[in-house]
Amino acid sequence: MTTLSPPVSLAAVTCGLCGFEYVPGGDTCREHGCPVAFGTCATRHCPRCGYVVPDEERSVMAGFVRRLLRRRTPRAVATVADLPSGEGGVIARLEGDSDLQSRLSAQGFAPGVTVCVVQRHPTYVIEVGETTVAVERRVAEAIVLRDPEPK
Amino acid sequence: MAGAPVTLPLVPVPREEASAPPRRVVLLGNPNVGKSALFNALTGLRATVSNYPGTTVEVYRGRLPGTTIEIVDSPGLNSILPLSEDERVTWSLVQSARAEEGAVVVQVADAKNLRRALLLTLQLGQLEVPTVLVLNMSDEAQERGIRIDVPGLEAALGVPVRTTVATRGVGVADVTAALASARAPRNHLPIPGAVAGPAVDLLTRGAADSAAEPFSIARYHEALLGHAEVLAGRFATTADPKGRALSRRLGRIAVHPVWGWPVLAVVLWALYEVVGVFGAGTLVDLLERGLFGGYINPWVTSAFALVPWALVRDMFVGEYGLVTMGLSYGLAIVLPIVATFFTAFALLEDSGYLPRLAVMSDRVFRVMGLNGKAVLPMVLGLGCDTMATLTTRILATRKERLLAMLLLALGVPCSAQLGVILAMLASVPKAAAAVWVFTIVGVMVSVGWIAARILPGQRGDFVVELPPMRRPALGNVLSKTLARIEWYLKEALPLFLVGTFVLFVLDRLRLLQVIVRAGEPLVTGVLGLPAEASAAFLIGFLRRDFAATRLFDMSRGGGLDVVQVVVAMVTITLFIPCIANVFMIAKERGWKTAGAIAAFVFPLAFAVGGLVRVLMLGLGFGGH
Repeated sequence: MTTLSPPVSLAAVTCGLCGFEYVPGGDTCREHGCPVAFGTCATRHCPRCGYVVPDEERSVMAGFVRRLLRRRTPRAVATVADLPSGEGGVIARLEGDSDLQSRLSAQGFAPGVTVCVVQRHPTYVIEVGETTVAVERRVAEAIVLRDPEPK
Repeated sequence: MAGAPVTLPLVPVPREEASAPPRRVVLLGNPNVGKSALFNALTGLRATVSNYPGTTVEVYRGRLPGTTIEIVDSPGLNSILPLSEDERVTWSLVQSARAEEGAVVVQVADAKNLRRALLLTLQLGQLEVPTVLVLNMSDEAQERGIRIDVPGLEAALGVPVRTTVATRGVGVADVTAALASARAPRNHLPIPGAVAGPAVDLLTRGAADSAAEPFSIARYHEALLGHAEVLAGRFATTADPKGRALSRRLGRIAVHPVWGWPVLAVVLWALYEVVGVFGAGTLVDLLERGLFGGYINPWVTSAFALVPWALVRDMFVGEYGLVTMGLSYGLAIVLPIVATFFTAFALLEDSGYLPRLAVMSDRVFRVMGLNGKAVLPMVLGLGCDTMATLTTRILATRKERLLAMLLLALGVPCSAQLGVILAMLASVPKAAAAVWVFTIVGVMVSVGWIAARILPGQRGDFVVELPPMRRPALGNVLSKTLARIEWYLKEALPLFLVGTFVLFVLDRLRLLQVIVRAGEPLVTGVLGLPAEASAAFLIGFLRRDFAATRLFDMSRGGGLDVVQVVVAMVTITLFIPCIANVFMIAKERGWKTAGAIAAFVFPLAFAVGGLVRVLMLGLGFGGH
C-alpha cells in the first residue's frame, strides 16, 4: 500500500567481513554443514568466511532493533502512521479500499486538510479540526500526507 | 479530477411556500451532536441519550406536544450515502421524507464542527429535502471562541438556521417555529460531472449494487468537503482553536499509552465497588433479608394461610412460590444489581469514556478477530446481552457482528447474573474466584480466536470518533437508567414468574424429580454438583440469571463446597443464552445462526465445567 517500504530484494549481498558476494538464504547454510540449518534459523552466514548477519525478516529481535534504529534516522514523512506524536501534516490523498476511503472522507479526512497525531499507542489518535478520531495503524497508513514544505 | 466543474444535474426546484406546518419531522445529523437531546427537548419524551457515537440503533418516535406532528430520531451518520447497517436506517428515513408530502428534515449540527455538518446539508440539497439546520451545542462553540454568522449562512444555504443548547432547552422553541419555513438547501455545487452523476444515483437509490461503474464515494465526499470548507471558512470564525483545557486533558489521559491503564483500572474498580459490593451486597441484603425476608414474605405467607386450598397456597408462597421465589428473586436480588449497573453504565456512557475504552482494548479484541469497537456491545452485554446483541449493528462487517453475538451468547454474563456470581464468589477463597475469571476469559479468547479463523469474511478497520469528555447530566443519567430498568422489568420479571410457575407445575406433577434424576449423570457425574442443581439448569433455559440466583440460594444454605461453587458458576456463565437473547439473534441473523450458537454453547458449558472440576480437584482445592 505504502510506496516507501523498500522492495524485497533477491539480489546478492556483499559480506561485510570478507567482501564475498552471495545470495542469502537457500542452501548455503546446509552446504556449510550447520546442524540446525533447515531454513528455520534467523541468521545468515557468509558462505566463504562464515560472518553472521541476523535475518531481520525471521528474527523478531533483529527486526525490532532494526526498526528502533530506523526510526531515529530522519526521512520524508509519507503517511499519518509515520508522524511522531504531537506533529501534524496536510493530507495529500486517501488510499486503501473504497469502503475505508468513503468512511474516512465522511469523517472529514480530505486532501488539503490538516491533521495532527496526538498519540500512536495503543492506537493512533488523530485530530482533524474539532474532531478527534482513533484509528489503527493500517488506517493511519492509508492517509497519505503531502511532502512537508522545506523550512 | 480532470474536466471543468459542471453544475449538478439536479436543478433546485423552488418549493411552494410551506405555510402549513409539517406532519413529520426527521432528526438527522453526525454522531454525537445531540440529536437525541433535541428529540427529548422537542417531545418531552425520553429517547436514549448517549455520548457514544452509534448508540441509537433503533429509531425513536415521539410527538410534538399539543400537535399531531410526529418527530423521528435517527442514528447518527457522516454521509447520507449509507456506509453501514445502522446508517442505512437513516438513509431510508431520508428517502421516505423525500417522497412524503409535509415531511421535513431537521439537521442537527455540532456548532463547533460546521464543516462536517455542511457535508450532510449539501447532500440534503442534492436530494431537495426541505431542511432546517440546527447548530447545537452553541455554548461549547462560544466557549471555544467560534463565532458563526447565522444570517449569512441562512442566505448562502437558503434554509432556516437556528442555534440551540438542547440539553438545557435553549432555542428549542425557535426550532419548532422554523419548521414551517423549511426549504431544500441551495444546490449549486461545483462538482465534476463524472463524480456528481453516480453520486446522485447512489443518493437516490442507496444500493451500490447497480452502480457498477468504478465510482469513488471518497472523491465525491472530498468534493463536498471542499465546498463545505469554503462555506465554513466564510461564516464561522475561530478566535481560539484550543478547547476547554480540563475536558481535553481528561480525554487525552484516558487513552494515554501509560496513564490510560491506571484510569482503566480505576474505572473497573469503581464499577466493581458500585455493582458488586454496593448493589449485590448492601442493597440485596437490605431488600432480600430486610424487606422480603423480614416483611413481605412472612406477611404474604400469613395472608395466604387463610386460603383453604393448599395448592393455591403453595403456588404463591411454597418452595416454588410465585411470591417467595419468583418475585423475591426478581425484585430483591436481581433488580438492585441491574439498577446499580445501569446507573454506572449510563454515567460511563454520558461521560464519553466508552469510545476511549475501545482504544484501550483494541489489541485484545484483535486477537478475537474483532476490533476495539466491539467493546461497546461487550460492556453493554454486562448489562443485558439481548440489548447488546442489537448493538452489534455498529460493527462494520458481517463476520464481526456474528463473532460479537457468539461471544456475548457464550461468556458475557449480564449484570443480574454477574452480580449474583460476584456475591457467590465472595464466599470462596480468592484463588478459587480467580479460577472463574481465568476460565471465562480464556474460553472467550480461545473461542473467539478459533472462530475468527474459521468464519469467512474480514475484520473491519478500527475507526472510532472520540467525543469530548463531558460531565454527565444528572437528568439524562436518571431517565436513561429508569428507562432501562423499566425495560428490564418488562422483559425479565414475567420470565421469572413463568420459570417459577413451570417449576411449581413440574414439582406438583412429580416430573421435577424425574428431570433431576435424568440430569444426574450430567450434573452429578460430570460436574459433581448435588442433583437438585438440575432444576437450576432447567430454568437456565429461560434465563441464565435466574439459574444463577437459584444456585446462589443453594450455596448460601451451605449446600455447595468451594469446587462446586466455581464449577457451578463457570457452567452457568457459559450456559445457553436466555430466551430473549436467542430470539434477538434469530431476528438479527436468522434461526439457523441462533440454533447453531445455542447448539455450540450448551455442550461447551458442561465440558468446560467438568474440566474445571477435574483441574481444581487435581490442584487440591477439594480438601477444605
